[in-house]
Amino acid sequence: MPKIWPTVLFFSGVVSALASGQSFENTAIVRTVELGGSVVHVTTTYAIKSLTGVSNIYTIAISHDEREHTSWLEAKVKGQQQSLPTQERAFDATKGYHLVDVTLPKTLPVNKTLNLILETVQTHVTHPCPETARQGDDQSLKYATNLFVISPYATSVQRTKLRALTPRFLSHTTPENVKAFTNDAPVTASGATIVYGPYNDIPSSTTHAFISEHQQLITVHYHHEQPVLEVPRLKRVVEISHWGSNLNTQDDIFLHNAGPTLKGHFSRLDHQTQSYFKRPAPHVLSALTLHLPAGIRNAYYYDLIGNVSTSKLRAAASVPKNQQGSQFSILELRPRYPLLGGWNYSFTLGWDAPLEDSASYDRHNGKYIVEVPILTPFPGAVVSDAELVVILPEGASDVEFSLPFPALSTTIGTHITYLDTTGRPALTFRYKNLTVRHAQNIYVSYRVVTSAHLKKPFAVAAAFFSVFALAMFARRVNVTLDQKKKAL
Amino acid sequence: MSTAYPLPTGLSPATVNNTASLLRIVALALISGAAIASRLFAVINFESIIHEFDPWFNYRATKVLASKGFYEFWNWFDPTAWYPLGRVVGGTVYPGLMATSGVIYNILHALNLPVDIRNVCVLLAPGFSALTAWATYMFTKEMKDESAGLLAAAFIGIVPGYISRSVAGSYDNEAIAIFLLMFTFFCWIKALKQGSALFGTIAAVFYFYMVAAWGGYVFITNMIPLHALVLMLMGRFSHRLYVGYCSWYVVGTLASMQVPFVGFQPVSTSEHMGALGVFGLLQIVAFTQFVRSHLSSTQFRSLLNVGLFVVGIVGTAAFVGLTVKGTIAPWTGRFYSLWDTGYAKKYIPIIASVSEHQPTAWPAFFMDLQFLIFLFPAGVVMCFLELRDEHLFVIIYAALASYFAGVMVRLMLALTPVVCVASAVALSSLLDTYIDPTEPDVAEEQVPASTDTTTSPAQAVTTTSKKAKKAAAAGPPPASTPLTNLIAATSPVKKGSPPPPKGIFGIDARLVVVLNTLSMLFFFVFHCTWVTSNAYSSPSVVLASQNQDGSQHIIDDFREAYYWLRQNTPETAVVMSWWDYGYQIAGMADRPTLVDNNTWNNTHIATVGKAMSSSEEVAYPILRKHDVDYVLVIFGGLLGYSGDDINKFLWMVRIAQGVWPDEIQEPNYFTPQGEYRVDDRASQTMKESLMYKMSYYRFAELFGGQQATDRVRQQVLPKVGPTLDYLDEAFTSENWIVRIYQVRKEDPLGRDLKSANAFEKGKKRKRSKPQPRRRAVA
Repeated sequence: MPKIWPTVLFFSGVVSALASGQSFENTAIVRTVELGGSVVHVTTTYAIKSLTGVSNIYTIAISHDEREHTSWLEAKVKGQQQSLPTQERAFDATKGYHLVDVTLPKTLPVNKTLNLILETVQTHVTHPCPETARQGDDQSLKYATNLFVISPYATSVQRTKLRALTPRFLSHTTPENVKAFTNDAPVTASGATIVYGPYNDIPSSTTHAFISEHQQLITVHYHHEQPVLEVPRLKRVVEISHWGSNLNTQDDIFLHNAGPTLKGHFSRLDHQTQSYFKRPAPHVLSALTLHLPAGIRNAYYYDLIGNVSTSKLRAAASVPKNQQGSQFSILELRPRYPLLGGWNYSFTLGWDAPLEDSASYDRHNGKYIVEVPILTPFPGAVVSDAELVVILPEGASDVEFSLPFPALSTTIGTHITYLDTTGRPALTFRYKNLTVRHAQNIYVSYRVVTSAHLKKPFAVAAAFFSVFALAMFARRVNVTLDQKKKAL
Repeated sequence: MSTAYPLPTGLSPATVNNTASLLRIVALALISGAAIASRLFAVINFESIIHEFDPWFNYRATKVLASKGFYEFWNWFDPTAWYPLGRVVGGTVYPGLMATSGVIYNILHALNLPVDIRNVCVLLAPGFSALTAWATYMFTKEMKDESAGLLAAAFIGIVPGYISRSVAGSYDNEAIAIFLLMFTFFCWIKALKQGSALFGTIAAVFYFYMVAAWGGYVFITNMIPLHALVLMLMGRFSHRLYVGYCSWYVVGTLASMQVPFVGFQPVSTSEHMGALGVFGLLQIVAFTQFVRSHLSSTQFRSLLNVGLFVVGIVGTAAFVGLTVKGTIAPWTGRFYSLWDTGYAKKYIPIIASVSEHQPTAWPAFFMDLQFLIFLFPAGVVMCFLELRDEHLFVIIYAALASYFAGVMVRLMLALTPVVCVASAVALSSLLDTYIDPTEPDVAEEQVPASTDTTTSPAQAVTTTSKKAKKAAAAGPPPASTPLTNLIAATSPVKKGSPPPPKGIFGIDARLVVVLNTLSMLFFFVFHCTWVTSNAYSSPSVVLASQNQDGSQHIIDDFREAYYWLRQNTPETAVVMSWWDYGYQIAGMADRPTLVDNNTWNNTHIATVGKAMSSSEEVAYPILRKHDVDYVLVIFGGLLGYSGDDINKFLWMVRIAQGVWPDEIQEPNYFTPQGEYRVDDRASQTMKESLMYKMSYYRFAELFGGQQATDRVRQQVLPKVGPTLDYLDEAFTSENWIVRIYQVRKEDPLGRDLKSANAFEKGKKRKRSKPQPRRRAVA
């Protein structure tokens, strides 16, 4: 932030505090960070108290850095399933933070309290440290975040918990300059949890003064015993076929081990020794378990040079529509070679599923509705760049779709494949930084008239007819030059 | 006329003809189906994958053709092959195969059938085998008749000798070449029979296609002239021969010169001189015929003598002169090795090192041809009996191909079609004779009809299965078949005496022979299926073994390592391996290679051989000079995979020795007793060679103190394995079949890598080295 205009910034901070700072107060803010590999889940609970009783808009502040890495954001009232509508304000680059307005279910009366839960998923926020590791070494990651959860409202008490999967922290930052907020130790570490705070009586912190004076980065360095996975590119093509009553899904997956880069070389002997003694190195991915939809068949797994025969699929029967079920087909997938730190592996995974499992027909407007999952979640992995192509049947018209969250771009093109004459409409959606929370469905509705269905048989019949007609004609034409000889 | 079994009456000849024609079409369609289906074992047992070595290059080239277009392919310079030399692919390849796949691919895509190019390549060979069956049918039809044609088509469709080269995935030149061979021969026979310039030109067009597709086109180039020459020598010169040969030769030669890889060879190398010579001879003979029709016989005789003398002298002198001058290239080594089987081993170890260039073992004939191998001579004898012009062709073809097949395993492929044709002629003559219902008109010797009732079901079977022939036989009464001629020729009865009644009486005599023949055919089918599924359907890229519960377990080490290279090394990383794996590395790992299966540069291959067979210190400068980043070796010791590099090692040594006889000597790699060993008793040179070290690096440690056994060579390795100073192990596949080593860069401090390594391991530098120097100074 440029330091030339401190007064301007100060005034703008005051103005924003005046504009919204009066209506609420945070009685407590608890932030829980679940440290992971490439994905970090952050749950922040705001215990809010209404001061004026007129506003039902609560404003949340997120620092610019965090917002850049946040790929999923959801606000809820504690204990309720329904997420609250959020509206992000335009980013003001001079401030360095983003403001998100959350619309509460109803206006909160004066002095009434409410627990608001903000769930965010951060991606690409951890870094391996050291950046290289030998085949048998441990894997440790670093994660950095701001000490204080900033808020336009004053906060009575605030704490930040950082939880790792294994109780092995290598180091953490001890915050400085927090005497104003606490008399105890500013940070306590025990087992798998590090707690910053509690910090008391924090004023409205979305001010330049507070941020420059008190806000600071805290870094934790921790062991992580799962490989850090990243999917730099994912392309999913979903093809709907009414003739085959089939929904084919094909994923082109580029997998990258984003953990510490392998130092030295891979030794098969060491790897085999490790797996023999059941002490696999934490950053080596040798197998992956994926949850594919129930009722799938003809699953295939190949890469650029052919079929990979090292996978097992336990297919579950498809769940009837009126039943609520969460059955999955389990795919145990082994890459051709164990994926060590910094290594890549690209492959293609596909399967067929009965169309009736995910499609339905609306009698009232004569349209089909198909439910298409955006992605199959990879455990603990982030999909940096995703493209979803939904190919509708030939002749589909009135195409509409509804997205669970907005896509970066949406285009409609034409895709031509087997036995097509005019091609099929293809919807393309692009996404960035998808995580397990984004594994939701897109709903596509379209109309297909009967004549469009009959296009294919007609085309095939016409082609065969013309071939036979040509053959009949050719048999009956005499191209001999010397007709006399023929007569003899 | 009495018949052995009742025939339907009241059929018009048109009905019989139409039924026969329909049955023929159905039979051909079924044969095509069987030919295609029996080649799909590889796809069903494994997957739709390109097999072996050369097909990987063809596949890669086809991908370039399909994705970038024909002109790009034509001008393709591949800098990643033969690094750092590169390879002009467009000019050093027979493009027919790639062009065929490219055309099929583009047609399918134009019809909105977006088939993957890999599937086009994989299924090309089975598809063309169906066409081969048809071409063989047409060819054999010219030799005898349709029924023999159908038999020949069925034989060629499933005979293992041809399947071995044309299973799905075996995407090699031979896949389309055999069809082209048979069809060119058919057109040639047709042209010869009819004296038709049209068929001569069609033969030339298919000859051109063949030239563009396979180096074996030289077989046609010499077969047809030889046939023409023999016809002339037998005094069978005719204008039909003149028209057919000239139209084929002129058009075919001009067309074949359009293939860049062939270029001016048709007029400048010895292999093609025969065709040119016969062409010239034909002109002379035709001219002589013309002159003779205008001159008296004495004048003509003296003219002929003088003319022949002069032309002979001039022609031979010109040929010898041009060969000496170098305008006509002498026979290449590959051809010498056809005359002298020991030639290649002595002078061109690269050719001799290929297993398919070894002489054929005799069981291979039975394995590849089964009962056809003893029907084949019978068929050739039948050709002699009739000896029309086209039968001469089969005889010459049979004699030549039999010889070649004995010399080289891979030329079994050239023999197979003629074996099928000749056997079909023999077998169909046999069946014709024994299915023919006419009985000799000797009433008193007629067999009572009581056997009819007992054999009627069997008879029904035979009649339905051979309905085509029955229908054909039922139409026109069989006149003089080859078999009746044979009987006449071999009959002890002297001519002149009234011919006694001959033929077969009754149904039982017929059934014995027919059922025997049928059972032979059944066994043939079983044999073919078994051989195909067991011996010829393995992709060799993927190995199969069985789990303890009997399920198939795939050993996929090659692709594991190649894919690792492809995904985790820089795109410019140069990989050195023995040439066998060059095409596979280029195709699957997509990385530059030093040498590959093209083997055009012996010195380059010898360089790799030298690097592999010398010690680390000697090999390291070679590796660095060639920018080698990774060295790949195949090691089968853990799994018992016998086709590994240690077993090929002696060829590397021999080839390197051919270029550097002072530095590499084959005897050094044997024990003093002359054994080839890898255990404690291995020679010092062997133990220090890069290949040995890379193969056994850390191998003994795998056994954790137990005896480390090499399962291929059944030898126990020393407890302390070799160490490497100039290379690092970069990747080893799951079953240790592929081992990849990274070449170290020079030490940044300028030490040699050995001492740098020793320093890093904390070993003190040995004082012993400088001391002698000091002493010497003192």
